[in-house]
Amino acid sequence: MQIQPRQQLLDIWRAIARLSYADGGWRFGGRDGTNSISDAEQLLCLMAPATEIPLFRLDNPDAANRDVLDALDALGDDIQVPQRLMEALTSYIKRYTAPDGTPSFSGGSYFRPEFEGEEIKIEQRELDVVDSFSISVTLMLAILGFTQIFRQIVTRPRLIEQVIELETRASQRLTAAMVGLLRSFSVNVFSADEPYGRELLRTVNQERRPTLQVVEELREALREINARLRDDVTIGSGAAEGSELDLPNRLFECGWSWGLVTDAPQIETTSEVGVQRAGVAQNAPYLYFTTVALDAIQALSSERTRLLGLLDEGQLKLAQALQLRFELTRSYWATVATFGSARWPLEDLPWRTTDGVEFDYFSLLVSGMVVQNMVAVRATNADLTRVAGVLDELANRSRITRRSSEREPALDVHHPGLRFVLEGSESVGGPRLAWTVADISPLLLKRTLNLASLLSDGTSRSRLLDLSGELWKHLQERLIADGPPHGLWDQPAGAFPQLNVKMTEASWYYTKRVVDCLVTAARVINEPPLRSEVLAQLAAELLNEADHLYDRERLNGSTYSGQSLREELKQIGVELERARTVRRERPGVAVAVTQEVLRRLDHLSAARRANIGRS
Amino acid sequence: MLVFATSDKGGTGRTVTSSNVAYRHALQGGDCCYLDFDFGSPTSGAIFDLPGAFAGVPEEGLHSYLVDGVAAPRRIDIWTESERDVLRGRPAGAGRLTLFPGDRGRGEFQAHPGIVGRCIDLLVRADEEFDLVIVDLSAGRSYATEIVLAATAALPGVKARWLVFHRWTRQHIIAASGLVHGNQGILESGVQHGHDPAALKDAIRFVRTAVVDLASPDQAGLRPEQLAWLDVCNGRLQELASRHKVGRTTVLGEIPLDPVLQWQEQLLSNDDVWLHRTANQRTVDAFDELAKKVVDDSAWIGL
Repeated sequence: MQIQPRQQLLDIWRAIARLSYADGGWRFGGRDGTNSISDAEQLLCLMAPATEIPLFRLDNPDAANRDVLDALDALGDDIQVPQRLMEALTSYIKRYTAPDGTPSFSGGSYFRPEFEGEEIKIEQRELDVVDSFSISVTLMLAILGFTQIFRQIVTRPRLIEQVIELETRASQRLTAAMVGLLRSFSVNVFSADEPYGRELLRTVNQERRPTLQVVEELREALREINARLRDDVTIGSGAAEGSELDLPNRLFECGWSWGLVTDAPQIETTSEVGVQRAGVAQNAPYLYFTTVALDAIQALSSERTRLLGLLDEGQLKLAQALQLRFELTRSYWATVATFGSARWPLEDLPWRTTDGVEFDYFSLLVSGMVVQNMVAVRATNADLTRVAGVLDELANRSRITRRSSEREPALDVHHPGLRFVLEGSESVGGPRLAWTVADISPLLLKRTLNLASLLSDGTSRSRLLDLSGELWKHLQERLIADGPPHGLWDQPAGAFPQLNVKMTEASWYYTKRVVDCLVTAARVINEPPLRSEVLAQLAAELLNEADHLYDRERLNGSTYSGQSLREELKQIGVELERARTVRRERPGVAVAVTQEVLRRLDHLSAARRANIGRS
Repeated sequence: MLVFATSDKGGTGRTVTSSNVAYRHALQGGDCCYLDFDFGSPTSGAIFDLPGAFAGVPEEGLHSYLVDGVAAPRRIDIWTESERDVLRGRPAGAGRLTLFPGDRGRGEFQAHPGIVGRCIDLLVRADEEFDLVIVDLSAGRSYATEIVLAATAALPGVKARWLVFHRWTRQHIIAASGLVHGNQGILESGVQHGHDPAALKDAIRFVRTAVVDLASPDQAGLRPEQLAWLDVCNGRLQELASRHKVGRTTVLGEIPLDPVLQWQEQLLSNDDVWLHRTANQRTVDAFDELAKKVVDDSAWIGL
């Protein structure tokens, strides 16, 4: 693998520490100003590796690695690093809590007007957004894991107070974010004859069969999801639509809208979550926000969260409700994307949403959910390989692996990024808002690495790893090379000079996504290597021969031999034992060791023949 | 400020490190004195190259003062009496560097109120006169430790800190931890003498000596296999240290393994690094840093 997560993450950490810590305090903000998402992304660049990779842990200075602490020495010495980090985390939560204690999940400077030049109202900037709920879930889980260990180490009373304060605040914000996610879930029910319905049918009907038949088959395929949406989704948004689902000729889609859904009912909870604001977002799923929400919910139900017991009782209930929506959404999109027996709708690039917008980027988002579902249902290598083909194609079409020197529209996905409107955002006054996404390259890399780790077939796997190498090379070209943010992302002109833009500030949006890739790469590398059947077979055969020759050497050779010969035989014995031990786990190593043994045994027998005069 | 240097096992480099710290502190401009409380073997004179006091002075040393009640113990000004060229003559800007040697050929002695009283007087006077008073105790749980614990308990106004030296090996980590936290260790006996356990614990830091730094160019001679193994070992030691409460959060300094100090206990001068090129710069840097940290309050704020 071309990616070296440890070295590269350390470089990134050094750059972040240098840029973010100045004059004794944490400095928020980058290219897109400060807002509740960007600031969390900035912190997660440190917290995500520290949480996910044991090598990078920061919660216990005694156990931390030397190189890791050295990389952060702009923050202070060994025992100051976790304290400074804690201060930064606390200041983040305080910054995004209203005076009345209600946590804010506003999109702020990430909101753009639909048409450049229109002025966004302050009330619009304060609208809660699913991206912020999701990233808060991830960041708060990281904080809770951090404080749990760090609390056992500190002894100074003032520090203990600070740790407990951070823990309490993080837990409150986590609950509020989960409530927000439950109130942004959306089930969009429509008739098969409506425009929505026609678009969905166009997507799934790859074989161009009669519409009525396809509607029936699709309803059949989604029946279980339909039933659970109707019966089990009872709180939050998306619960009211249950009654409509059973009407004939009805189709639906589910997932997360961009913010709190219009008329989303309040969630009853005993925990302190502040005011539950009224929603304004359109009651329909957005692919981008759906993917983002799924990632956060996956972290909520992860092994780490359960083992460390990071959630309290109230949160466990909310998590359960979210997990249900997670599973339904994941299987809904997987069902739709792999519907039919011919070409999958997913393979029909680009993906077209029910409101008629089509982007390659959407295909990438859907492929993520398809793979998540394949993990859950233990799909075969053949199915996974089909997704691999889609990723390969996406890398081509987005001009990452195929170059062009023209300034063509296909590059817009990298810069300035794709823009989609947030329906309903105009209802508090001001223009309609839009959301920009430009993370196709890191997202594609993350999906590629993830898929590679699932494949047990050596050829497809190495093809994907090759692709990941190319994607990484592309990302490296996009590093900012000079100025204060050097060593961070993103400089799109580095890979596409024809874009003719020069960025002078770091984008935490982008850097955080690259860090995610490196974390994924570290996980993939830490998994045991793929065991090749062919090599295992070869190792077994080679060992048979080596064993036999070795035994013959011991039987027939003189027992009264010189010291060096005795040592040689002893060493060969040790090597053979080594080959036998690693044969199952690392057959390649066993082959190499056994070949060396065979060669050494042959030296001895060749030498004997020389004495007899035969060759 | 009083600094007590101790260790659980012998051969940790306690004396050589603490005398180098005293030397560095004086070079940095502070007045520093060195009290040889290693009563069983008062050999600090050798490190400072004092020909008349290689193994203590014939009379009027610290034994005579504490046990026999001689009016004032002998003191030796290193800058005038040392035989070593670089130590002769106080460098410009340097502070005083004074040794209080022990008596030759006298052994350890038990604490009794008279001794503790005289020890209190000595420490108070030294603390008034010097910026840094380094008291070199003997290895393990010793009478000297008992005496100074009793003395400091009676001196709440005088700032006292403890440095526990240990080598970076399994046995030494466990021993150093035992000396502080174990049965009749410094904390337990300190409390018996009336110390506040939390305050005393905050005043104790560990110094790792003769540490093999794997990243250092000096390790270039090691085979790759040896380095791989050492890396694993280091990780295990770190984990062991953390479990025994001698982890990084309680460490004040790390002194790298130095070829000169391995062969001969001596003060490392700048000449040894730059002119003779026998000692390593990293070692001298480590001494320098430790000499600063030991009196720097912010370095003693723990977690």
